[in-house]
Amino acid sequence: MGGWRGAARLTLAAALAAGLAGLAAVPPQAATGRLLEKRESLYNNIFVFRDRDTISMTFGHNKRYFTESLINLKDPGALSIEYARYMTLGLAYAANTGRILEIGLGGGSIVTYLNRALPESTIVAVEIDKDVVDLARKYFQFQESDRLKAVVADGRAYLLRDDSKWDIVLLDAYRGPFVPFHLLTREFYTLVKSRLAPGGVVVQNIEPSTMLFDSAIATMSSVFRSVDFYDGRENVVAVAHDGPAFRQADLMTRAASVQTRYKLRYDLRRLVAERRVLRKPRGKVMTDDFAPVETLRAIEQHNQKWKEQTEAPR
Amino acid sequence: MSSSILRGIMLFTLAIVLGFALMGFEMLASRYLYPYFGGGINTWASLIATVLVALMLGYLLGGALVDRTMSPRLCGFLLMGAGAYLFSIPLWVDPLFGWTLRNVGDGMVGITFGATMLLLLPLTLISVFTPFAVRLLLTSVSFGGRLVGYVYGVSTIGNVLGTLVTVFTLMPLYGSRALTMVFAGIIVLCGLAMVAAHRFLRGSAE
Repeated sequence: MGGWRGAARLTLAAALAAGLAGLAAVPPQAATGRLLEKRESLYNNIFVFRDRDTISMTFGHNKRYFTESLINLKDPGALSIEYARYMTLGLAYAANTGRILEIGLGGGSIVTYLNRALPESTIVAVEIDKDVVDLARKYFQFQESDRLKAVVADGRAYLLRDDSKWDIVLLDAYRGPFVPFHLLTREFYTLVKSRLAPGGVVVQNIEPSTMLFDSAIATMSSVFRSVDFYDGRENVVAVAHDGPAFRQADLMTRAASVQTRYKLRYDLRRLVAERRVLRKPRGKVMTDDFAPVETLRAIEQHNQKWKEQTEAPR
Repeated sequence: MSSSILRGIMLFTLAIVLGFALMGFEMLASRYLYPYFGGGINTWASLIATVLVALMLGYLLGGALVDRTMSPRLCGFLLMGAGAYLFSIPLWVDPLFGWTLRNVGDGMVGITFGATMLLLLPLTLISVFTPFAVRLLLTSVSFGGRLVGYVYGVSTIGNVLGTLVTVFTLMPLYGSRALTMVFAGIIVLCGLAMVAAHRFLRGSAE
């Protein structure tokens, strides 16, 4: 009796885990190239492909591959996936840039870029999957140092246990195609806010093609006073902070000053120029108590519909 | 209808309802655990192991108690205890899990401790019902095998419905705290029904 009950529960749990699918870090594409390595980790089925000079880390899910990270071996300093460039925008918003936390490492291209560009900053990347960290080291030139560290932990558990403050928090945690529900609730964003230094900002990669996007931005804007958006092509990058919204001219001045100081490859002024500000969120706020992420994600909406909730800044 | 048939209907109905609440609450438990211990397969492993331990303890305890007492009232009080425990969960779950994460961590020990605090006592008390139902319905040994099969089969139908309906219908509509209260209320009502029907359920028991 216990045997098949246990088996039935395991099956259900597996079916549930599989059924949780939906958000795409980047929409699925046919995996191309030669398979360099395949790992079945505790959390993901990870495939590393090489196509000529490009190595990609993908998570297999429902027979599709979701690209988490790309590196161009001929130009390893490049941020090959468009949205990743906008993830650097926190530099223009934050009062300081000395301490940066990333949740969700992937191949580590964003933190590697920031680490090279900002010689005085300390960066910690929290990644739940040990195998992802291994593969980032092995194929994606992710190198740890005194100033760049990877920690294997659940992002929320890490923040709960470590109360140090951060100037910039980058949220990029995807399990294959979806963000775990406990990283999308009001309680989570409140926790993140409590770990921000004065003038700190949160930068998040959000996939805009389902109703879940509406709820995610409603939830963010229920916690942070200002939320801005950038069209990272396939994905949207949100920048949230607790101060009043910047005037566009002021933000441009800040971007220019950071740009002059660090000579960033992806010019912050060009990135900031594409800013859109939140007009009125129309989604429902998600909480730890009530976060129907599966249901919301099942309702697709047109990829560009998110723009209706935003407007050009003044 | 003979009273033995009515007795059967009542106990099988309770088996379905309690089976529903038991698995429904297991699914809700994941929502309490994720924010502190992460949403991985390790959380599910601890959750499932804890539920199976609770079932085992409940079956052992229920079997021993029913042979000794033949008391539906006792089973009813135990169910009311399970419901009361569920009612209390939203009061202490966040401080306790926060403490656990900081002091025990989010490894196997931490998650299993969390799952144990959440599930072990109430699910043990709920699964005490199954041996009670079998023994209260058992009038002839020659029918014993089928009876055990029916009781487990029917309560498992409740388990299946509880799992699917909770996840696919209830959780998208209501918050987990509210659903916990509803399940708690249902379990208390089942307990009250057993206390109230004490004489009737004992029936012709020797």
